[in-house]
Amino acid sequence: MKKFLSLALALTMCASLAACSNGASSSGNTSGSESTSGSGAGSSSQAESDMQYVKDKGTLVVGITNFEPMDYQDADGNWIGFDADMAKAFAESLGVKVEFQEINWDYKVMELNAKNIDCVWNGMTINDEVKAAMSVSDPYCLNAQVLVVPADKADQFQSVEDLEGLTVAVESGSAGEDAAEALGLTTVPVQKQSDTLMEVSAGTSDAAVIDLLMAGAMIGEGTSYADLTYTLNLNEAQGLESEEYGVGFRQGSDLTEAYNEFWASAVADGSALETANTYGVQESVILE
Amino acid sequence: MEFFTSDTFRTVLTALNTGFLKTLQLFFITLLGALPLGLIISFGSMSRFTPLRWLTRTVVWVIRGTPLVLQIIALFYVPGMQKWFNWPSGESGRMLAVCVAFVINYACYFSEIYRGGIQGVPKGQQEAGLVLGMTKLQIFRHITLLQMIKRIVPPMSNEIITLVKDTSLARVIALQEVIWMGESFMKGNSGIAGLTWPLFFTAVYYLVFSGIVTMLLGKLERKLSFFQ
Repeated sequence: MKKFLSLALALTMCASLAACSNGASSSGNTSGSESTSGSGAGSSSQAESDMQYVKDKGTLVVGITNFEPMDYQDADGNWIGFDADMAKAFAESLGVKVEFQEINWDYKVMELNAKNIDCVWNGMTINDEVKAAMSVSDPYCLNAQVLVVPADKADQFQSVEDLEGLTVAVESGSAGEDAAEALGLTTVPVQKQSDTLMEVSAGTSDAAVIDLLMAGAMIGEGTSYADLTYTLNLNEAQGLESEEYGVGFRQGSDLTEAYNEFWASAVADGSALETANTYGVQESVILE
Repeated sequence: MEFFTSDTFRTVLTALNTGFLKTLQLFFITLLGALPLGLIISFGSMSRFTPLRWLTRTVVWVIRGTPLVLQIIALFYVPGMQKWFNWPSGESGRMLAVCVAFVINYACYFSEIYRGGIQGVPKGQQEAGLVLGMTKLQIFRHITLLQMIKRIVPPMSNEIITLVKDTSLARVIALQEVIWMGESFMKGNSGIAGLTWPLFFTAVYYLVFSGIVTMLLGKLERKLSFFQ
């Protein structure tokens, strides 16, 4: 009995450790049958296979969440939005079909590595965590973090100095969490940006820090959060650079380069600006 | 009243209905798969062949001893990350993975209920069957099975009601069941954003459905009360 139990426990631990180590080292793992040669050559051989892999199966699976104005559904259930339209054009340039897959944002890296999706294209803020886990494209869009507070208290929160001692709700692992922590605020990490708003509206947190684009869509007139408003642009207030959105591909993928070329040509022929105008994000798009 | 005829209400309801169909699909597939599989596992855990008994009981221990949500995540992501195989792309692959995880998980719980039901039938009855010259299979079919079914209905009902609500765990790998759809209106869906009531409204679906299930299981229990 004892022997058996210890054996079983040892086995479980081995299995879980193996799973961890493989998850961390993602693309260039040792046990993987596809990565063949040495490390340097190995990454390039995988890179070649990634574009080929997508072309062979004939579809580019784009990992998204429902995020207006970047990726959302029209009345007929088709995915539209600035990111969605650009993704369609990119797939067309590769000569493959596009398929949109809603994912759980917390698992975007796992979705990529498990090849359930081929890219993350959903207004993703480029930060160190994202860069460590994916191959990220050139930035294509600017964003900022804003402070969301109850409308009747808006005049109390107009500068960074007013925020001392506040408890702010943030999405776990988001750029908003980084911004709040940089200010030394007490943070309440929750699962989604939308949950942070529920925290503020229920009074369980004093304020929330979320994306400007998102704040524009989710609070104010006509929403359940008519009594919320945003006051402070934390990037401006702290004199930081704006955040940038990028498209994430698998590590070592050559699709990143293909995307960068695609984006440059879309900027050059004006189709990027045209699409941006359609969805009202022309102020944020990076056209250089 | 105006609210219930508004476009917003209709849009939300349509989305929730679509989500709830997924919930129901998962619920029935799990039941269909786990009820027979559970019986097979229960035979394994009562086997007189020691290695098989230990193996089965270890599996049951691991499955019952770890969170279902972790099993779903592992089953869906690990095969792809380890390059064993890929689930079919799109929503159907996610549904398949979730169904497999639920069937295995619930079969393990069911197996213990079956085992209790079978071992609860007095041994003397089996011996009586043997004396009458019945085979093992005949004893199981004609003596044990009926009494077991009668005994296991109340604990099974408990698990089945739990299953109704556990289906919501499937949203961890982005299966768009009813709670996922309810949550989608907080962040934005079909041009509607910042609504919290659809999330809480999903409770109505669960309540009505578990009410129906409770009623049906109660009926079954009364039907099986013929020994009193």
